Amino acid sequence: MIKFIIKRLIIAIPTLLIIIAFGFIMMRIAPGGPFTNERALPPEIERNIQEAYNLNKPIYEQFFIYIKNLSVGDFGPSFKYKDFTVKELIVSGLPVSATLGLSSIVVSLFLGSILGIIAAIRKNTYFDYTIMGISLVGICVPSFVMAPLLSLFFGLYLGLLPTSGWNGGNILNLILPIIALSLPQIAVISRMMRASTIEVLNSNFIRTAKSKGLKSSYIVRKHVIRASILPIIEYLAPASAGLMTGSIIVEQIFGLPGIGRYFVVGALQRDYTLVSGVMILYASLLIILILITDILRAYLDPRVKI
Amino acid sequence: MNKQGNIETIELSKTIKGRSLWVDARRRLFLNKAAVISLITLVIIATVSIFGPFFLQYNFSDTDWGSIYQPPSFKTGHYFGTDGNGRDLLVRILHGGRLSLSIGLIATFVSVFIGVIYGTIAGFFGGKLDIFMMRIVEILYAMPYLIFVIILMVVFGRNIYFLFIAIGAVEWLTMARIVRGQTISLKEKEFIETSKALGQSNSLIIIKHIIPNLAGPIIVYITLMVPSVIILESFLSFLGLGVQEPLTSWGVLISEGSREMETAWWLLIFPGSFMVITLASLNFIGDGLRDAIDPKEY
Repeated sequence: MIKFIIKRLIIAIPTLLIIIAFGFIMMRIAPGGPFTNERALPPEIERNIQEAYNLNKPIYEQFFIYIKNLSVGDFGPSFKYKDFTVKELIVSGLPVSATLGLSSIVVSLFLGSILGIIAAIRKNTYFDYTIMGISLVGICVPSFVMAPLLSLFFGLYLGLLPTSGWNGGNILNLILPIIALSLPQIAVISRMMRASTIEVLNSNFIRTAKSKGLKSSYIVRKHVIRASILPIIEYLAPASAGLMTGSIIVEQIFGLPGIGRYFVVGALQRDYTLVSGVMILYASLLIILILITDILRAYLDPRVKI
Repeated sequence: MNKQGNIETIELSKTIKGRSLWVDARRRLFLNKAAVISLITLVIIATVSIFGPFFLQYNFSDTDWGSIYQPPSFKTGHYFGTDGNGRDLLVRILHGGRLSLSIGLIATFVSVFIGVIYGTIAGFFGGKLDIFMMRIVEILYAMPYLIFVIILMVVFGRNIYFLFIAIGAVEWLTMARIVRGQTISLKEKEFIETSKALGQSNSLIIIKHIIPNLAGPIIVYITLMVPSVIILESFLSFLGLGVQEPLTSWGVLISEGSREMETAWWLLIFPGSFMVITLASLNFIGDGLRDAIDPKEY
């Protein structure tokens, strides 16, 4: 097992390096730097700024400086938020985004798999049709349509929940963003879970368990779930990627001060270091998640060779 | 005697008229009610988007300061109301539909093009080349793809033609994987071996024999990819990184609508419904096609 993890890590490091290089190069060849204004700066000032941010050195040297700083957790200063470093911005946004993302993952995994299992057990009943209908809505209504609708309905018409804001992580403020973020994932996961549970329910070992006279609730808990959850584990990494990108929109709509908002602002204003910092953070999270997925799968499915 | 002869010819004509895979698939598709209704809906939406603006009295970029935020009404001819600049919403939705649908089609085409070529090459030649090429795909998979597109848009400017290419360029990964898998199983088949034995060149084998046999999965995947591309474009436009004013797409309209929804609900509801109906239809068609073309495999 340890050998397997080390092997995956060895593959992960060059992957991350390539991603860092990509982000770095893309932002550098972008037309228009962070200091291009409509009014040209005096040449002396421009030279000083370039020197302060190492922009006058050759590009490969800039890259090595960047990597060196990264390795000690320094993402460099933000080009646009003058008095902040990228690290400070990320640290200030991370609790918001992490709360939102983690709770959405838990909610969508939990609800998605439970609904999927129930739909599979009660196949072709009205219960099944209802769940599949709702999941169809989740797939066809993108989060940027769902989020404003939710805040319009629950926030404005019913006045039950606040329409926007973070409010120090108040649970009421979190409900709508979490619903908007996890609904598409619940939809996908419940469909996958339904399909895989139906397949497992028809397999021989379940028939054996039934013929042994085990209670069906016991069979579902002990035998079915373990086998039918495998595709969901596999889907964990894409789901998290979806949640990351979804959170950019959801944070925007509900006015949450998370990382996604900084990313959008950074992209619109060509804040090189901020954008590459966020991208590297997201990519490393994804790589770690893929690693966890592989380990989980090996643990749950003994047939997987590691 | 004569009669018997007739029967024989009838039977003969029956046996001659075989059913190809595609005829069979079409029959199965048309038996699927949801898919047929979706197909009709989609054709209506596309036709209305293309030809509708010619029959309406307003232009999509005409502003009318005398009638801003008009609610939907038949009297004024603003069937879907107007926006904050007094522009007719219906015309803007139809124009947005043109753009969203064409981005969906073109970007899908780009990604299918890249994905098919990449996948067939990796699958057909195999070995170290295959490992290397799939390694790249895996690395790109580990990137949150939306962020990738945002960076591309930031770097190359917000040009809508570039938007087509940028979206196409990130969506090819799954296509490449599917095509590679199919190619690997195809290349072991006898007819490919025969072509090799006959001395056909590799590129000819790929174009003439492998790609036509991939048509089924490719078509299914296209119908499922168009909606995801439409969502992606709207996503970018929503953030202000996609289509720019006065041009419009469903994503731009929804983004404006969500900002104004407290005072003007129609600005969100109408473009949102157009988009949701289109996405739902495409999904149903995709599911129907998948069942029709490959009833066993999925």
